Amino acid sequence: MPLIRGDRGAAAAGATAPAPPALDSSDAESRWAAARSLAGQAEAVPELAAALRRETVARVREAILTSLIRTGDTASAEAIVPCLRSQDARLRAAAIEALQALPSALTPILARLFNDPESDVRLLATELARNMKASDATRLLCGLIENEPHPNVCAAAIEVLAEVGTAEALPALERCAVRFTATPFLPFAISMAIARISGAKV
Amino acid sequence: MVEIEAATKARVLVVDDSSLMRLYYKSTLEKAGFEIEPAINGIEAMERILSQPFDLVIVDVNMPRMDGFTFLRALRRGPNDVSGLPALVVSTEAEMSDIAEARASGANFYLVKPVAEVELVRHVCVLTGVSL
Amino acid sequence: MDDREGGASRAVHISSVEVERFCDFLYRRTGLSFSEGKRYFIDRRLEERIAATGSPSFQAYFSLLRADADHEIEYLVNSFTVNETYFYREDHQLRCMTSSLLNGIVGQRPPGSTIRIWSIPCSTGEEPYSIALWLMENWSQVDNYNIEIVGSDIDTRALKAAAEGVYGDRALMRLSRGIVDRYFRPVADGNHEIDEGLRDSIEFTRANVIDAKDMAKYRDFDLIFCRNVLIYFDDASRRQAAENLYDCLRPGGYICLGHSESMSRISPLFSVCRFPDAIVYQRPEADHG
Repeated sequence: MPLIRGDRGAAAAGATAPAPPALDSSDAESRWAAARSLAGQAEAVPELAAALRRETVARVREAILTSLIRTGDTASAEAIVPCLRSQDARLRAAAIEALQALPSALTPILARLFNDPESDVRLLATELARNMKASDATRLLCGLIENEPHPNVCAAAIEVLAEVGTAEALPALERCAVRFTATPFLPFAISMAIARISGAKV
Repeated sequence: MVEIEAATKARVLVVDDSSLMRLYYKSTLEKAGFEIEPAINGIEAMERILSQPFDLVIVDVNMPRMDGFTFLRALRRGPNDVSGLPALVVSTEAEMSDIAEARASGANFYLVKPVAEVELVRHVCVLTGVSL
Repeated sequence: MDDREGGASRAVHISSVEVERFCDFLYRRTGLSFSEGKRYFIDRRLEERIAATGSPSFQAYFSLLRADADHEIEYLVNSFTVNETYFYREDHQLRCMTSSLLNGIVGQRPPGSTIRIWSIPCSTGEEPYSIALWLMENWSQVDNYNIEIVGSDIDTRALKAAAEGVYGDRALMRLSRGIVDRYFRPVADGNHEIDEGLRDSIEFTRANVIDAKDMAKYRDFDLIFCRNVLIYFDDASRRQAAENLYDCLRPGGYICLGHSESMSRISPLFSVCRFPDAIVYQRPEADHG
């Protein structure tokens, strides 16, 4: 019979101990292993954040983010926030994904991000309201769209409101519709969000 | 009088993590006679493209798990029957550097959000070879 | 229909746009989507979950769902997917293994080399035994290589049952009469015991796919079946599991997920590969940016 039980059990035979992994190694495999080994360690957060900003290999970046997510505290969140300003779109997207996975002690961070001078940062930050309590998310997102000049930032906020918004959002959405009647997509998005929130058939 | 039905409509894959944006593309393009399928990021887009025939992919740049440029590069490296699929990139960015990166990744055309319905339909017609 | 004591039925009314909101959420989180014709199917299951959680309205239920209170997402996904285990389940992936994947795996390997295949979670053993059976019945080169099959699960009772290898008729429903006769013998209560040689050829171990320490003991797999478990995890756990599985695979090794699952909701670590019988995922041979 060709099927055999590995007689050394499940582990591969003949593995020798590699050099200790390091976050600043020139070898991606070593950085990957180092990042993975630091998961959930609060004292490693600053080191992981620094590594995140300079990492160019996608899978190592993923491992760093997973470890930061598993630490799960406000310090991790603060360590990731600067990545929202990166020129690298992939790093920005990865940072938002990681922030989304962190507990909703993000409320103070979010209020700050919604006042950021960069529209990109405000836009990305709308995603963070998605996992919050509906009343908090609604309040923060409505606060954002009230005076937001950038249609794409409003569109992002409206997307999240369509999922989590309460009836409290309706007046702000209607005011937004008035400001953007001539802008493509926004009237459509606002009417969809209003319909979802009201529970009325479109 | 005999009604002549249109032959197979052009099939367009719309890739955007925003559900409202996907609905907007769907309602606009279906009215213009296109068949639309959605995907939420670059990985799902690859799965759809590898499973069913499409005439065009519309892809957002900023998506979770796999962004639009990474997806495009993977598409262009992919099997011959999909690697040449026309790709319309849609982005919030209007910078020349973003347009250049789109071209380098293999985009055929680039539009800046929010896209007007008329503009969307016109470009989709051009890229799929369907007359308006 | 009211299964609560006394009281009139309090069926909660759900509007179309509420169903849309729910479907968008489900699609985003799990990848599950439904055609227009499945509306009744969705409504029924949504009503069941609203009632089961004692939610007074769709809104209340939706808030609960978004917060994943009491693992509601797991219950919800369970109600939308078929979870039965049996031999030759999702056999298109087994066909893909012998028609396509093994060619890439054996590549330049000399005869007598080892091929390592992992079924995790293996539950009560149907999956690893199916892999073994399928290889023997369908792979012309099965005698040319040493094939190691490992079956792992977090549930030690399931592992014990797997090692015993006794199954009822239902588990065998996809197997031909010929295969049942050749590889099983009847035992008490109308059950069937799988051949001793097959029982001995699978290594059953306890492992938790999310636990990096557990998973660190497993390396150099050519093919992993990780079906119908990742869909239940939250984002952080899915990422962790994906990274663990990556390390357990050889570069170029393959991983198969369950039919309702997709790496699009899990991790960008793997490449998407299309074969005639299935879409599977591959650990890249080398890094790219």
